[in-house]
Amino acid sequence: MRKWGIVVGLCLCLSVAAWAGPALNTLVIGSTQEPSNLLPWEGAADTKENTMGLFNVGLTYFDSDGVLQPGLATEVPTEENGRLKLFRDADGKIVRQEVLWTIREDATWSDGRPITSDDAIFTFKVQNTPEILVTTRAFSNLVEEVRKVDSKSFWIFYKVPNLFYANVGGSIGLCRFYDIAPKHVWEPIYDAVMAAIAANPENTTEIIEGQFLGSPPSTGTGIVVGSGAFRFQEWQINQFIRFSRRGDFFIDPPGPAENYIQEITFRFIVSQPTLVSAILAGEIDASDDIGLAGMDPTILAAQLGDRGTVEVTPSGFIEKLNVNLFPECGAAADLLLGDKRTRQAIIQAIDRGDLAATVFPGATPSNSFLVGGDIGFNDALNPWPYNPEAASALLAEIGWSDVDGDGWLERVTDDGREIEFAMHWVATTADFRVRTGEILQEFFADVGIKLEVENLPGSVVFASEYISHGIDCSFRGLFEYAEAGGVGQAPADPLSNELWANDLLEDPVDAALENVPTPANSYAGVNITGWVNEEFDRLRAQALQEFDLVKRSAIVKQMQVIYNEELPTIPLYDRSETVTKAIGLVNYTKGTAAARTQFWNTWEWGWEQNGAIAVR
Amino acid sequence: MIVYLIRRLLQVIPTLLVISLILFGLLALKPGDPIDEMRRGNPGFTQEDYDRLREFYGLDKPWYVQYWRWLGRVLHGDFGISRQFGRPAASYIFRYRFPNTVLLSGLSLLLAFVISVPAGAISAIRQHTVFDYSVTVVNFIGVSIPIFWFGIMLIYVFAVRFRGFLPAGGLASPGVVGTWPVFVDRLRHLILPVIALSSLQLAQWTRFMRSSMLEVIKLDYIVTARAKGLSEPVILYRHALRNSILPLITLIGLNVPLLFSGAILTETVFNWPGMGRAIFDAILVNDFNVAMVSLMFISLLVLTFNLLADLAYALADPRVRYE
Repeated sequence: MRKWGIVVGLCLCLSVAAWAGPALNTLVIGSTQEPSNLLPWEGAADTKENTMGLFNVGLTYFDSDGVLQPGLATEVPTEENGRLKLFRDADGKIVRQEVLWTIREDATWSDGRPITSDDAIFTFKVQNTPEILVTTRAFSNLVEEVRKVDSKSFWIFYKVPNLFYANVGGSIGLCRFYDIAPKHVWEPIYDAVMAAIAANPENTTEIIEGQFLGSPPSTGTGIVVGSGAFRFQEWQINQFIRFSRRGDFFIDPPGPAENYIQEITFRFIVSQPTLVSAILAGEIDASDDIGLAGMDPTILAAQLGDRGTVEVTPSGFIEKLNVNLFPECGAAADLLLGDKRTRQAIIQAIDRGDLAATVFPGATPSNSFLVGGDIGFNDALNPWPYNPEAASALLAEIGWSDVDGDGWLERVTDDGREIEFAMHWVATTADFRVRTGEILQEFFADVGIKLEVENLPGSVVFASEYISHGIDCSFRGLFEYAEAGGVGQAPADPLSNELWANDLLEDPVDAALENVPTPANSYAGVNITGWVNEEFDRLRAQALQEFDLVKRSAIVKQMQVIYNEELPTIPLYDRSETVTKAIGLVNYTKGTAAARTQFWNTWEWGWEQNGAIAVR
Repeated sequence: MIVYLIRRLLQVIPTLLVISLILFGLLALKPGDPIDEMRRGNPGFTQEDYDRLREFYGLDKPWYVQYWRWLGRVLHGDFGISRQFGRPAASYIFRYRFPNTVLLSGLSLLLAFVISVPAGAISAIRQHTVFDYSVTVVNFIGVSIPIFWFGIMLIYVFAVRFRGFLPAGGLASPGVVGTWPVFVDRLRHLILPVIALSSLQLAQWTRFMRSSMLEVIKLDYIVTARAKGLSEPVILYRHALRNSILPLITLIGLNVPLLFSGAILTETVFNWPGMGRAIFDAILVNDFNVAMVSLMFISLLVLTFNLLADLAYALADPRVRYE
């Protein structure tokens, strides 16, 4: 009996940690999120992008210095190399745009077939098929046609000129990791789906869901083909996805490829504390840019000791308080949130440096709608330092005072009602936001504002019935969440999705406010604060038509001045991303926010112990 | 009896229909839909995309129209696709989640039963001894400690402090092949979550068993057995233990449907992909098809176990008649 006990004990103690680390030249990456599928046309989450990036490469990619590099393409199209053609009208305004792409001769899919212009044209055809499930058609909305030149070259003819034709991300160019799909894999599926729809049009949704979204290449249950340095092996749902190195990848790392990672396991651990435990236990070599959000890098570094390092990089997202500016929302209007002095008081009542250091270590206070690294970022903006006295003075100037001496501000409205400055704040239930609510309560209490804190699940606050209904007082004061802040989507991006009200490119000035969700437009648009500023909209339209980066940046800087003065949203901080990596892991780095993720150069990842050379 | 059985089985159908209507209505009341999830964090997502996808999935229709469409599909055996994982919702639940839950909860139940019965019995027999006090203290600790904290502590000790002794979580290790290595690997991954999940039941059942045993050993027939000169082990283990264990079995029986709904906290802490987490996540991210198939399955289980319990009463107690 005792002997058997010893045998079982020994068996159980056989370490499983061996599958992580340099011993087998493998890499285990941990994340708290899992992709929904491997379909090239559907899904928008960061984790999907990361997963696809592990076995695909785009036409171009941003490196860790933020420089655009050719990936599948032979070179990045520019006017100088003749691959970008811009056609201007008599006023110099760009009216038409054509881009010529050429795919590398040695570029092949993971099954050995060449990557050709037919693949690019097929991808565009699928994206434009009305019946097919495509998450966003932002790219096809810009493009008139993708036309073949030869087996490796094709033209993209734009119907709307777009500066970011060559950038990764944003679905505005055929350049995301996975925007070109293997035609030989997907065409038979596409043809079968279209035939089934033609025969049974009333069941289109079921056919698309079952035969397209649920197809073997999408669910990872069949042959999955990619263009990247690693080949898809298996997907154990809710557990991990495994990839192995391709011997025939067309971009070489420095030195022999055998010295670099040969197998990657992307592991999904939904609980952040469990992910950290797995990292500390040595089961995970590196985390992705999602898993450790909001964690203190200093504490992580101390816990890891000499076993690993912590990298903190800008995320490209700004945490901000969206202010309800709709006069139709009485609860918000009573608080005079529409008066910019109130918003200026709010920003000065918050010690944003202290807040960022406490709830999101590594983050830096923000004063703009663009993150610090964006080439259009204006660094001469009012920094709005913590100044509760100035905040109190502004509030007094508007008419707020502590009449009854209870510590809270009051005022009498025009119609004779006496109201207290009690302001609603809502955010998701993420730990750092729960703490933010508690801290903001204290900051606001110091200036006499009572903060009513509400933390609701993300699926509730981001539901269109909630987020788009500020006019109906769904949120009555401040709504905190993070917005993309330029870098990573596209440098000097002046679109500022959530801030513009009127698209002056298409409509006259007095047209409906199409980006402000109201009953008149069926609550369409993402300008959820209801802020309307004609000058801001005019500059935005001007910037969109400006292809000279320097001139465009100058316009965007003007827009930031208006934003910084008006504060339709209160910028709190530029969010950071924290990533851990085991000692010896080289070239696993993001650098600037432009790279979007660490997953842009898989072919260079390696263990120094195994001869991999650090080049990043 | 057969007429009764047929009548009860026929009642299950309208009951399930009403349950499905209520569940679908409640899910429809929840703000948000799968398209809102797609829009989150995707600056390239336009209003046109939003409207197009809502129409595609039929989400622009009133909830009762959506329900009618869903019901029509279900009657043809199609529970729809999990929009979270792109796989058929029913196959996702029954292939990937349900077996894991049965494994984890079943083993926890077994462990708790195997330990709590003798511990509770001995504690009662040796009342007011050091063993009894120790068991009582351990029981109170077991009842008081939150499972998620206990789970994290187990991970900290056995995975982090003693690196690699046991895995920090998950179902299995990547790349392990061969029958024996796979078996050992699965066993290693089960140890900590089973201990954590069984801890609460263990404490509760031990206390329950102790009380039951204390009650039984004071009954007249035990005194009679002693007077007849039966040996103490025979009295305690053949007569007292068998009778005192019956209420515990009833209690365990009532817990069986709960077994299938899983244990969200344990599954989350140990990254164990079971039913509980699947239902919770599905509701949170508006994956309606997965939520509906899971909840309907649990409803069916509850109805089935109610029926089985009623039939068991009739079989066990001759005074009960279903005519």
